[in-house]
Amino acid sequence: MDERPISPALKILACAMFIFLLAPLIVVVPISFSGDSYMMFPPSSWSTKWYPAIFADGKMVSAFWTSLLLAFVVTVLSLLIGLPAAYALVRLKPRGAEFLSSLFTAPLLLPTIVLGLAILIVFSGYGLLATFQGLVAAHLVVTLPYAIRVLSTALATLPIPVEEAAATLGASPLTVFRRVTLPMMRSGIVGTTALCFLVSFDEVVLSLFMTGPRISTLPVAMYHRVEQQADPLVAALSVLLVVLTLVVVLVVDRTSGLAKTFVK
Amino acid sequence: MTSRTDAPEGFLSIRSLTKRYGDFVAVDNLDLEVPKGELVAFLGPSGCGKTTSLRMIAGLVPATSGRIVVGGGDLTEVATHRRDMGLVFQSYALFPHMSVARNVAFGLEMRKVDKGEIAKRVKEAIALVHLTGKEEHRPAQLSGGQQQRVALARALVIRPSILLLDEPLSNLDAKLRDEMRNEIRDIQKRLGITAIFVTHDQVEALTMCDKVVVMNQGRLEQLGTPVELYETPKTAFVASFVGRSNRLTAVARNGAAEFAGQRIAAPAGLEGPVQVMIRPHRLGLSPASPAAADPARQQVTGTVARAIFAGDILQYDVDVGGQIVSVELATRGGESVIEPGRPVTLSWRPQDIFIYGAAA
Amino acid sequence: MSAVAPAAAMPAPLPAAERSSGLPLVVLLLLPIALVNAFGFLAPVFNLLRMSFYESQATGAMVEVYTFATWASVLRDSFYAELILNSILVSLGITLMTLVCSYPIALYLHRSSGTWRTILLVLVISPLLTSAVVRTYGWVAILSENGLVNNALGAIGIAPLKLMFNKTGVVIGLTEILMPYMILALLAGFGRLDPRVEEAASTLGAPPWKVFRHIVVPLTMPGIALGSLLCFVLAVSSFITPKLLGGGRVFLLATEIYDQAIVTLNWPLAATLSILVLVIFGGALVLYTRALRAIM
Repeated sequence: MDERPISPALKILACAMFIFLLAPLIVVVPISFSGDSYMMFPPSSWSTKWYPAIFADGKMVSAFWTSLLLAFVVTVLSLLIGLPAAYALVRLKPRGAEFLSSLFTAPLLLPTIVLGLAILIVFSGYGLLATFQGLVAAHLVVTLPYAIRVLSTALATLPIPVEEAAATLGASPLTVFRRVTLPMMRSGIVGTTALCFLVSFDEVVLSLFMTGPRISTLPVAMYHRVEQQADPLVAALSVLLVVLTLVVVLVVDRTSGLAKTFVK
Repeated sequence: MTSRTDAPEGFLSIRSLTKRYGDFVAVDNLDLEVPKGELVAFLGPSGCGKTTSLRMIAGLVPATSGRIVVGGGDLTEVATHRRDMGLVFQSYALFPHMSVARNVAFGLEMRKVDKGEIAKRVKEAIALVHLTGKEEHRPAQLSGGQQQRVALARALVIRPSILLLDEPLSNLDAKLRDEMRNEIRDIQKRLGITAIFVTHDQVEALTMCDKVVVMNQGRLEQLGTPVELYETPKTAFVASFVGRSNRLTAVARNGAAEFAGQRIAAPAGLEGPVQVMIRPHRLGLSPASPAAADPARQQVTGTVARAIFAGDILQYDVDVGGQIVSVELATRGGESVIEPGRPVTLSWRPQDIFIYGAAA
Repeated sequence: MSAVAPAAAMPAPLPAAERSSGLPLVVLLLLPIALVNAFGFLAPVFNLLRMSFYESQATGAMVEVYTFATWASVLRDSFYAELILNSILVSLGITLMTLVCSYPIALYLHRSSGTWRTILLVLVISPLLTSAVVRTYGWVAILSENGLVNNALGAIGIAPLKLMFNKTGVVIGLTEILMPYMILALLAGFGRLDPRVEEAASTLGAPPWKVFRHIVVPLTMPGIALGSLLCFVLAVSSFITPKLLGGGRVFLLATEIYDQAIVTLNWPLAATLSILVLVIFGGALVLYTRALRAIM
């Protein structure tokens, strides 16, 4: 809609608000190169010492690996569980498919603080607190709704005649799914992968309830660090995380278009 | 209607095929025998059940009842991928993520044909549809007509027992459509393949096919050669759907149809309101003069309501007792246009008029 | 046709799309997600409801005795009444701020096009994909005693402002955190905004601000309502930002739930407060549906 010229007042206002929106992300970059031992802005001196400091911090490093492995496992499981479920809901249309769809995406409606507490109470009974398996299960509760949504949309928009054509050419239902349906869903699968990975990797509230001294994720470790001492180490770490996010976003954008994946 | 007892057993044999969706009957008790090597059209308006019938033959829609037999084997309960039929879709349904060659090779790969053989047959099939050189293109890089050819090659390369074509030409522009019509017919004849061609376009059905099945509201209206359908339509629906017809109403009594006070012979057994059909270009028109009546022709009189000179033809709308009859005369040069308001005589050969009970 | 006859003898399933007796396959495909849903969502939520009626003791131990004691203490105690009221008021303030800050961006995005629009959209979505911890940390850098704002004020000789460890900090931080949600919701609701209607108003003699007030705002009301609901709900339940920017000095429902659950280990109380959050959600939803009916 470029028919209506944008007034200068709106341009200035929007620009100011964009600065406000991006300020906290922009500001961490200079701080990450601070030479001070505590956080102040602008820094009184500059250095790159905080980047190596991250890798010297055992807690952060182990939390990073936990988060990475966690996000990987959660993403793989989300696809393995979400894909058959989406297929069943969209293609086999069992009775009550719509109700089941809303039930499976309902965890997104619950505030994570409530969901976190609810899961904490139940999981504590099974000894799942502060375990990797417990974290995986808790993260799946919030990543699966995203997976179901994106994959269902991807499946629902596929042209069915193409699958029928494969069947007439002699492909069994399983072969049709493997050779035709799955490749055609590529952008939906890439979107789901990116979304589940980022949601799991950035998830902090559920993780706060599920972690303990024995196991921690990166966002939780960062949270505790900021709570105790807001030093430039977290800024350096933040810059690395923003770069990681950017890489994921670019990959998704290349393969399927970011706007398509996150905004309808 | 064809009945199973007097028709010869065909290569494809459809027996009492029915499809119901709840109360809606999409295909009603269809019986059909298709001899080997024939191209048969399923012709009808949208919603007549022609596509549903085709999809049941392909196994994409399960039949509610009835049998589908090919070469003596009952396929009714056989899954699509084991039916060995080639289907060309209206939307082409090419695999967007595969090259032209991979699209064509797909069916052969499913049949576990060995690699060398696949390469050879894919090459032949692509040459058959004149796409040599486009093997590595993706479907999205091809024009509509080219995509259509890939779809055809993909369906033919598996040497299917039956080739099914679902409105394959409806997404092409007029010029390409004429071209593909001839090409599909040539290939089908050359390969001697049994084929079913679903279309709503009577020109396609008449020009391409050995036989035409006219369908309406799930039922088979008439099966016949294009000439039979055109010259001896068995129902009012066929008469109006195949070719163009004037459709008039009359009242039948004692073996004659009464028509604004004028009588014409009608088939015995018809009583009450009837429909009278006659094709505009099978009518003769002359200034009214009872003396010139040709005993071999039937005739009525009317008044010219409108006269249009359209180059190739001279078109008259003639008012016959309040009903408008359209007449088309091929121009030969030198004729004078009869002015509106003038009385005229319409005449025709008895075999050109069709009279049906009004219920049809 | 020998290829056909043997195939005909083989029993084969009907195509999946039309299978009517396909229940076992459907069940098989849906079983994993149903298990996750039951174990990680339904059971915990029902358990939470039940937990709010348990008795908790000073030692932190729970007794499986059903009682209204927790509910009674929460509803009677003026501390909790204030906590709830405080949470609602702060969340409303944040929602209003978010709306004011997001509207210009959404309107600008709605009127821009092409690559420029895509780039701006990515800029709007990117913060959503960045951890709330990182963004809150950024606000610490801007708002703290040694932060950007106070150092800038100091440079021109103005006494430092207290921008952190109070409600101001929480409101500023959460406003920014929630803006992307509001912008996306507004954009979704801007569909009815036809430039021609605005042009029509202009040709009829309306000055720009009157066009905005009488045409643009009413037409974008559905988006405003949706975005406000979303932001209010997220503000009430947000926890990371209030905790870090409030520094334990701003008491809100969400932070209290966490403290009761993790620090005090009074799960019945935490459960009761959680259900209060859900009740507030329900109230917001009812107001939203009413507002929507009034607008449409």
